[in-house]
Amino acid sequence: MLNEDRELIANIKQEDTKELAFQELVKKYQERLYWHIRKIVMNHEDTDDILQNTFIKVWKNIDSFREESSLFTWLYRIATNESITFLNSKKRKHMLPLTDVSDYLMDNLTSDPYFEGDRIQMELQKAILLLPEKQRIVFNLKYFEEMKYEDMAQVLDTSVGALKASYHHAVKKVEAYLKNVE
Amino acid sequence: MEDLNKIAPNLSKQKKENPYRVPDNYFDDFSARLQTRLESEKHPIPEKGKVIRLLKPMLGLAASFALIFMLVYWPLDKFLSDNVAENITEEINTVDDHYLSMMESIDEESFYDLLEQQEITEEYSDDELISYLSASVSDYDIYLESDY
Repeated sequence: MLNEDRELIANIKQEDTKELAFQELVKKYQERLYWHIRKIVMNHEDTDDILQNTFIKVWKNIDSFREESSLFTWLYRIATNESITFLNSKKRKHMLPLTDVSDYLMDNLTSDPYFEGDRIQMELQKAILLLPEKQRIVFNLKYFEEMKYEDMAQVLDTSVGALKASYHHAVKKVEAYLKNVE
Repeated sequence: MEDLNKIAPNLSKQKKENPYRVPDNYFDDFSARLQTRLESEKHPIPEKGKVIRLLKPMLGLAASFALIFMLVYWPLDKFLSDNVAENITEEINTVDDHYLSMMESIDEESFYDLLEQQEITEEYSDDELISYLSASVSDYDIYLESDY
């Protein structure tokens, strides 16, 4: 873990510096976590809710953070779990099978007023949306954020080997989709 | 992935730029909005408020029933019972009118005569009765009135 993060956590765990240090943590990680969540749920409003829930969970559980993993993988893990919980609640609400929320996300993508990409970028986002949930998260973390497999293994609680296989399958599927639309 | 060009040439041609954006000043304001929410989480709703919140759906349901009663059941019930009562009163009034008109058609003298006639205890002999019956009642009528 970075020394800077270690100090931040130590300050959050102390009553007199808690609030200020927590604000610092929010400022430092809000953007990275926002984009991570946004790529999972595709919609700004939902992302905003989930990001707030993520930081509230961090605030409530920071004392139980054992510092065995780095702060940023712990934050990513909470954000990922919150996003998946959100998607599962959407599936339950719309009586969808637990594996299928792609229609809801596709609607979010195509009607998103904050999407500024061109047609090719839209096609890439559509191709990513058609991936199974876990592959989609792996693809986004590796392709866009270039996260190391070792860190990703901590975030997703999966082995490095499984993640590499998952990314490989995801790349093949996205490539096949892009080849078809060209 | 080093060999992305080989296994996914179309994907590797893609721009890695983020195609999404956020509302203006979103990240500047986020911390303050989060702080507000954290403050509200720190001060949970008092017990009284919680009870009201728990009772709210039930109160809503009770209010809905009361409204339905007021709007449907009560006017219907009131309207129907008024109508039934009106009909009964009308019937009683008709019977009363008929009885009164009958009584009015009888003058006082005839009325007392009728009363006196009921008190007549005149006795008739068997022969008188037989001759009265044979004159005014047929054999068929007597047969109908008999038990056989």
